[in-house]
Amino acid sequence: MIQFQPGNLRVPKWTRPVYLVAAGTSDFRKRYPEKKLDELAMMAFRMLLEENDLKMDPLEVKGQINFACYGEFADHFQDQLLCEAKVHDYLGLDLLPNVGIKTGGATGGSTLLMGATTVASGMADCALVLGWERMDEVKTWTGNYYIASAACKDFETRLARNYASYYAPMARRFQEMYHVDERVRAEIAVKNRGYACHSPYAQQPGKHTVDEVLNGEIVSDPLRFLECCAMSVGSSAVLLCSEDLAFRLTDHPVRVYVAGGSHTLRTGDRRPMRILLLPNETEEGYRELYRDMEKHDGRWPGFESFGATRFAAYMAYHMAGVRNPIEDLDLVETHDAFTISDLQTYGDVGLTLYGKEQDYVTSGDCYLKNPRTGKPGKCPSNLSGGLLGTMHAVGATGIFQAGEVFWQLQGKYDKFHGAPKLWERYGKKKPSDWQSLQVKDPRRGLAISHAGVGSHVVCTVLERAW
Amino acid sequence: MTSKVETDARVRLNTTPAKITQEHDAWILHFPRFGEEGTHFHTYGLLTPYFKGLTEGRLMATRCVNRACPISKGTGELWLPPRADCPDCHQPMEWQEVRKPEGYIYAFTYVERGGTGLEVECPYYQIDVKIEGVGTIIKSYLLDRKPIRIGDRVRAVFRTGEDATHTCLDLAWELV
Repeated sequence: MIQFQPGNLRVPKWTRPVYLVAAGTSDFRKRYPEKKLDELAMMAFRMLLEENDLKMDPLEVKGQINFACYGEFADHFQDQLLCEAKVHDYLGLDLLPNVGIKTGGATGGSTLLMGATTVASGMADCALVLGWERMDEVKTWTGNYYIASAACKDFETRLARNYASYYAPMARRFQEMYHVDERVRAEIAVKNRGYACHSPYAQQPGKHTVDEVLNGEIVSDPLRFLECCAMSVGSSAVLLCSEDLAFRLTDHPVRVYVAGGSHTLRTGDRRPMRILLLPNETEEGYRELYRDMEKHDGRWPGFESFGATRFAAYMAYHMAGVRNPIEDLDLVETHDAFTISDLQTYGDVGLTLYGKEQDYVTSGDCYLKNPRTGKPGKCPSNLSGGLLGTMHAVGATGIFQAGEVFWQLQGKYDKFHGAPKLWERYGKKKPSDWQSLQVKDPRRGLAISHAGVGSHVVCTVLERAW
Repeated sequence: MTSKVETDARVRLNTTPAKITQEHDAWILHFPRFGEEGTHFHTYGLLTPYFKGLTEGRLMATRCVNRACPISKGTGELWLPPRADCPDCHQPMEWQEVRKPEGYIYAFTYVERGGTGLEVECPYYQIDVKIEGVGTIIKSYLLDRKPIRIGDRVRAVFRTGEDATHTCLDLAWELV
């Protein structure tokens, strides 16, 4: 719809609060022949039960679970319908109920959203949220064919069969409208792949330079190879529960607020709307942007922005009481499947105004340590290494992001990234120049899970609850 | 994957026309994913006039004419891609030919490589075209390979008769 009616903007009101108490993950690889899919899910589940300093024994924790939500992006990749039943059985959770959830790249976030509603409604007291993807059964270009099935099959799939080619026109338009220097996009790739160097889970960490990114092979103009995420294999999990159980399981639970939004599968079908304003924005603040749009035949959200992200953020912020994102949030995980989606998202989630996204990146506030000032960045993004550097095993992605923010809020970045044994578990050696990316005393974080060219977006605010 | 193609050469397709059958008024596209036995039969349903129109050299769009529609008020802009029913009032829309199928490039990318099964010869420009009187922006491809900019004017080119693929690839564009 392009005009909201009174009921459409109702803020979700959960019956009771929902807490995140534990997270677990496998590492991520482009190919993972050593393990079957359910064995990867077990890695995530085992870590969740055993390594989160819970106050009950692992099997006692498992004994609290009443419901499971599973995220898997594409049956095409797994080549197995009802994969949920295999994983559920493998984890030893029969006869408990489970459901599979699918919303493209936002599958992980949607799985978290559904898991949270089971706890919020009282249907469950303790819900397992676990996701996976195994994208290595086919060659990369057939994988791209499968992923392009997430473009409109009647009107768009045949025009590329490569998802980067659906993001590239947005990058082109964004660049033209907001006069973006390509170096800004390249900087995002350098930053996120650089952060991935400190993660034992990361599949493609790398110390790159802006010039290296820009001189790299082009996938779909203007997007270069290093600006695109890769095929990925792995699994991630989080455990959600009620307040009472949360404090019985841990002294450091994290409260979650989750909301979603959606928009057309085809970018060009997005008809002009008025910008849905966040609490820190005004119509007046966008007067100039609307004038510019008129000059350039622009529109909101158009090709430049994601209406679904804005809608999800609007709801999640109202649920969590976030008034001014840049002040109220201490870190964020964006869905940087492509550098451009990372850049676009900063406006959508209100870390800066629409049209000012590149200034936000160059301000340095998206870094742990602002390279311009040497001081801490205001809201570091993708310290996990993001999709570009660490993983995009699609059904796991949104869950992995939430887990990383959760560990940051608990102050456990070092525990889950710096232990030499953890690196060894995945056949790696902890780098001699490893650095802690722990944010100092964070209170609130944000995770964005994102599908298609913005067809589904889930926004999760995580807040320290002790 | 990236082929060295002369920039003055027009973009070609490397595909054979998809077979079409008709049931009632609907075209059914045959997509032999796993050979003859493994064919998907995909209906174009109420959008058949669009795909049929392309093969006859006509660009057909839809328009809401319901005066009670809160958005179009009966004088809505055209939809391309078309849709049979209006999302704002849920009433059936009417077909209308785009008499002068010209527009400008709203966004674009130069596709250097595509996934398995891509039927367009790389490299080529995938373009999003804004047409006057059309509210949406349609994604398509350009036959020219020379450098382009947002704002460049283009006109529609159709694959008709024997050349028709019976897919969205029957609509292409060339620089004016």
